[in-house]
Amino acid sequence: MIFEPIQIPWTILGLFIVFNVGLILTGTVRKIGARVGRRRGIRIYQPYIDLVKNYALRSNFTHGMMFYLAPVFRLSGGVGLIVFMPLIYDSVHFSNFSFAGDAILIMYFMFFGTLGMALGAGEGGVPFSAIGISRGLSQVTAAEIPLILAFLAVFIQTESFSITEIVAAQQGGFLNWTLFTNPLATATAMLAFLGSMMRSPFDIVLAPQEIPIGPPTEFHSSFLGVLSTNRAVFPMAKTILYVNLFFGGATSWPELILKSFLLYMWSVVVGTIYPRFRTEQSIRWFMKYPLILGVITILVLQFG
Amino acid sequence: MVNLILINPIYIIGIGLGTAFLLGFFKKGKSVAWALMLAALAVMTYISFTWLWSFIFNGQLPEQVYTAGFKPPFSINLLMGKSEAFFTFLISFVGFLGGIYLFDKLKEQGTHAISVYLILIMGLNGIVMTRDIFNLFVFLEIASIATAGLIVLTPDIKAFSAGFKYMIASGLISGFLLIGIIFAYYFGGTLNIDFLIQADLLAVKGGVFAVFLIIIALLLELKPFPANGWGIDAYEASPAGINAVISAASAGAVYYVLSKVLPIADAKWYTVTAVVGMITFLGSNLMGIKQADAKRMLGYSSVGQVGLLLVFLGLSKQLGINFEFIVFGIIISHYLAKAGLFWLAGIVKTGKLKEWGILRRKPVLVFFMGTFIFALLGLPPFPSFFAKWTLVMTLSAAGMNLWVGLILLGSLVEAIYLFRWLGYTVKLDDNKELSLSTPLYKTIPVWVFGLLTYYIGYLSSTMVPGGSSLSMFYIPLAFVGVLFIVDKFLPVLIKNTVSIAAMAYYGWYYMADLTEFRMLFAIIFIGGGIITLIAGYAKNGKRIGFYPFAMMMYAGLAGLLLSENILQFFISWELMTLGSYILILRGKKSMPHALSYMLFSLGGAFLILAGLGLAYASSGANSISLDILKNVNQYSGLIYAFLAVGFMTKTAAIGLHIWLPGAHAEAESDVSPMVSAILLKAGMFGLVVLMLSMGSQSLGGVSLPYLLGWLGAITAILGNIMAVFQEDAKRLLAYSSVGQLGYVVFAMAFMSHLGWLTALAFALNHFVFKALLFLAIGGVVMRTKTKTMYEMGGLIKRMPFSFISVLIGIIALSGLPPLTGFAGKWLSYNAVIEKGWYFQGFLVSIAGLVAFLYCFRIIHVIFLGQPKDKFKNIKEAPLPMLIAQYILIGAIMLFSIMPNMVLKPVGDFLIQYFPDGALQWQGGTAISRLGRWSGVAIMNITMGIFGIIFVWLLFISRKAVKVKPFNIFYSGEAPSRPELTHFGYNFFAPYKKAVGFLVQPLVTRFWYGLADILHSISDLVRRLYNGNGQTYAFYVIIFMVVFSFFTIGG
Repeated sequence: MIFEPIQIPWTILGLFIVFNVGLILTGTVRKIGARVGRRRGIRIYQPYIDLVKNYALRSNFTHGMMFYLAPVFRLSGGVGLIVFMPLIYDSVHFSNFSFAGDAILIMYFMFFGTLGMALGAGEGGVPFSAIGISRGLSQVTAAEIPLILAFLAVFIQTESFSITEIVAAQQGGFLNWTLFTNPLATATAMLAFLGSMMRSPFDIVLAPQEIPIGPPTEFHSSFLGVLSTNRAVFPMAKTILYVNLFFGGATSWPELILKSFLLYMWSVVVGTIYPRFRTEQSIRWFMKYPLILGVITILVLQFG
Repeated sequence: MVNLILINPIYIIGIGLGTAFLLGFFKKGKSVAWALMLAALAVMTYISFTWLWSFIFNGQLPEQVYTAGFKPPFSINLLMGKSEAFFTFLISFVGFLGGIYLFDKLKEQGTHAISVYLILIMGLNGIVMTRDIFNLFVFLEIASIATAGLIVLTPDIKAFSAGFKYMIASGLISGFLLIGIIFAYYFGGTLNIDFLIQADLLAVKGGVFAVFLIIIALLLELKPFPANGWGIDAYEASPAGINAVISAASAGAVYYVLSKVLPIADAKWYTVTAVVGMITFLGSNLMGIKQADAKRMLGYSSVGQVGLLLVFLGLSKQLGINFEFIVFGIIISHYLAKAGLFWLAGIVKTGKLKEWGILRRKPVLVFFMGTFIFALLGLPPFPSFFAKWTLVMTLSAAGMNLWVGLILLGSLVEAIYLFRWLGYTVKLDDNKELSLSTPLYKTIPVWVFGLLTYYIGYLSSTMVPGGSSLSMFYIPLAFVGVLFIVDKFLPVLIKNTVSIAAMAYYGWYYMADLTEFRMLFAIIFIGGGIITLIAGYAKNGKRIGFYPFAMMMYAGLAGLLLSENILQFFISWELMTLGSYILILRGKKSMPHALSYMLFSLGGAFLILAGLGLAYASSGANSISLDILKNVNQYSGLIYAFLAVGFMTKTAAIGLHIWLPGAHAEAESDVSPMVSAILLKAGMFGLVVLMLSMGSQSLGGVSLPYLLGWLGAITAILGNIMAVFQEDAKRLLAYSSVGQLGYVVFAMAFMSHLGWLTALAFALNHFVFKALLFLAIGGVVMRTKTKTMYEMGGLIKRMPFSFISVLIGIIALSGLPPLTGFAGKWLSYNAVIEKGWYFQGFLVSIAGLVAFLYCFRIIHVIFLGQPKDKFKNIKEAPLPMLIAQYILIGAIMLFSIMPNMVLKPVGDFLIQYFPDGALQWQGGTAISRLGRWSGVAIMNITMGIFGIIFVWLLFISRKAVKVKPFNIFYSGEAPSRPELTHFGYNFFAPYKKAVGFLVQPLVTRFWYGLADILHSISDLVRRLYNGNGQTYAFYVIIFMVVFSFFTIGG
């Protein structure tokens, strides 16, 4: 597969769809969360309004070069993930720029935006953002422990890093999905998934309600606008990656959207039920059950 | 060769004795007496010299000198053979120089002392030459009484008591000897040594007793452990000038006597002698650890060295033709170094080791002190090195591995206290209240012996098998030598330029033809060396002592790549270690760290030496080519393990890593990148040579590469976790190196194409980004004068270029696409799946994640957050340092965009070693069996997206107002001081709570515990030496009894 200019508009279209799905999904989830809490909740299209508002705000402050570049890093990270990933299986148009790399690239590219944003927030000078980053990095390195094991399991099983090939291996009926061919790996991955979605019990990084910390508190107006654009894209990227690796991928947009939604809801459901962990608690948690599960997964593959 | 007129050796005795009597007439003219004594010593030296010359160059035959006109056994005869000429020359020469050195002491004590001194030298000469055992006794007595006399003549109560104890002990010993001689005469019917040997005394029952008494007496003269308190006390109390003679001349003389007389006994006695020597060598060195007084410590070291000689003597049959060379190397090193060190001790005067800083007022003396210490410890290019090398090879070939092990162990223990002492001298305070007088008559002997050490080292190097191949070191070492000479005069600017030019020239001229691995490492060593030297332009002044040692280190590194035989390889290894040790020692607080670096390195080097010895033996003991590693027939697992562990002391695998953080962190700002980015790769190169030669080996049924794989993975994760918790920026980077080299070892252990490609990608990458980071952080530390990160903060505004360097560095380190680090990550996943080492691979992946934590920490806490008031006006790092950094950044960018430029050729040559699993390249895209990766596409796409979003943000935030970092508020309050809002201390506190248990300093505790045990044992044994003459005499008796058990049977 090589690069052709026609891929650019198709990729942008794919990105646009993902972005909108992400925004609507965010609104829907907030709505559901409110209803579970017996509140009326926002309108589903509220995220659009927030976004427009942020971009339109007139007051606008910057703390310096890194602060300025942080949202750029963050959004490039999110967009890059989508762009490096094939979205729809066997589709010429929506395979994006996946010729550049494979699942390993995706795994590492996830940190590109994180790092950039963390740096920018650091330049802001408020200690709370640094505290949030410290917590976030600590937690994410713990959450990645089972994640890597689960991914390794998939790679070992399919003998490939190529997302397209991994999806291809799961075609021909839902029983071919990794979910059924390797339930242990999927279970491990699903536990790891919780850690990266910034929802309870793993949301101390942002602590969105009562103690405003973490990078987003630092940014405002158009900077926050860029960041919230990413908030729509980035979780979608992760979700799509999971759909591809564990749930048979998608051969059409509706399938992709449905699977993504259901998968997304997993973190929402857990988050609605369980209270928040402190950082060290969540690290310990990831180093217990998910790790053990992951190790068993690999053991089964190695000796089973 | 020139024919020198030979003078009858009887004149050595005659002149000594005659002049001593004559001196009685010069009661008042002390200077005249002194000059006369010197003249006599000069003539004695010359006589021995003429003989030595004739033996070496003119094929002279040994000559007997008969006295009283009869042949033995009816008269006394002297022998002048090659050995006698050598030993008498040594004795008279050190006597002569020592006489110069003692100018003030001898004049102060008068003509008596001068006579006694001369008699001592004469006596020692006699001991060496005589072939009559009773005559030997007489000369021994003369020497002993003269020694005691010289000690007692010192106007000091301590010396008096020491002299008295000396008399007691030597009286006792003389008694044994005399009785032994009487028995020998009774049973053998002769006093002539040669006839006694033929008489076979051991065949007669009483003769055994004679042999026993004679040998025990001579052994006791050599002060075996622990029956040597009297000797040690004498060393401590007597003047250093006398000690020099006792240590250098007496020990040699008595050793030679023993070697002369020992043939009257049989093989069993040789073995016992070797064992006694080994116990002495180990015990004395162990005791040396706890000493705080220079002369006493040197005394222990002397006794230890003599013990080593006894070992050789005992093993002389096994050492065969190499015996002479080995003894020569050790004796001459001991002779030169010990005399030199005692002389220095006399110059420094203060006994306390911790006050030796005053010697720094005369840097050249410090230089010679280092020379002597290196020579004692058997480091190249000194004679003892070649002796030890030959020794290990010979003993290994004879299968005597235990002896090799013990000798190396003892040497390591000796290194502990000698290097600690050197560290004190170089680093501890120069106490202004103490005076240091260096009159010419005291420094000249030091100079002469110091320079001779080098010259004899050169001579020895030509005598060792394979010595001709050492010419490869001449040019670099000559350059180092020139740097030493001009070091005091030239400014940094010139020396730096010359060094860079020399390295470039050497690299171009000698190393351009290298291929494959060697070429790759040449780029790291030489290219990296030049880049780090560019940063050196930032330093002002003369930087004395930097360039010679830096160049020595690079000479060693270059030598590793150019070496074709194990001798060249090992010498290069040691040169590199020596140079880097001094470089590290230069750091302000690096004294203890440099010591632990040196000890680990030496330990590693000894393991390598032992491994090479075994390999030499196991491949047939007929070649020293590096290829012998490919032809190992037995012990292959052991050889592999020794060499691997030895090399891994350099790569700092977990367990062997504790020296690294301190050594790298406390080094100067441009030394850190040298020792971290470049030097560690030497260990890797060693592993490359080992693994390519020996493939996979196993020990006790366990595959060693498999173990290495686990070791590498554990090193990677633990090294990285430890880095996360550092508050000191350079320590953080240092621990990170531990982890990164763990990746390398891990990947090499795969023994597969992809594994090695991964390892080399990691290594190249680590070289670039670690040099970059250490330079950038070094620049920051230069400006802020602190390494503690939380004291900094917000430096991005003041040092933006350094910030960019660190940013690029950490992105490359953490393996984020689109920069080069990702190459290693992607390759390693491929290698892991292919090999099936999932858990190790998993650990390494986690290690990579953990690296994010410290990467963020180092950039955030230093450059982001709140700037502190005291750093409001600091400047950007010096330009030369930035230039060096930006060259490295250029390399990172190039390698990121075109990874194929390096990885493809590397892969191509790897195919011949590991044909399976090579990558396919389509332009810049790498394709493996499992996946694909296109560096250039990733870079373009990422930059494209980044650019578009950046422009978009520029557009929408065009009206943004820039505010100062302190323009913040929280919880409705404006903070009053920036310190209060900089989150930097204990940055990953929750992480520490959760995983801190993994990095309990168990390894550190282990090594410190070991050090404690060594010290405790040393202290315990030290108490045997209570300073009481009776106790010492008692030990002598005990020693005799024990010795008798093992020789004549209980």
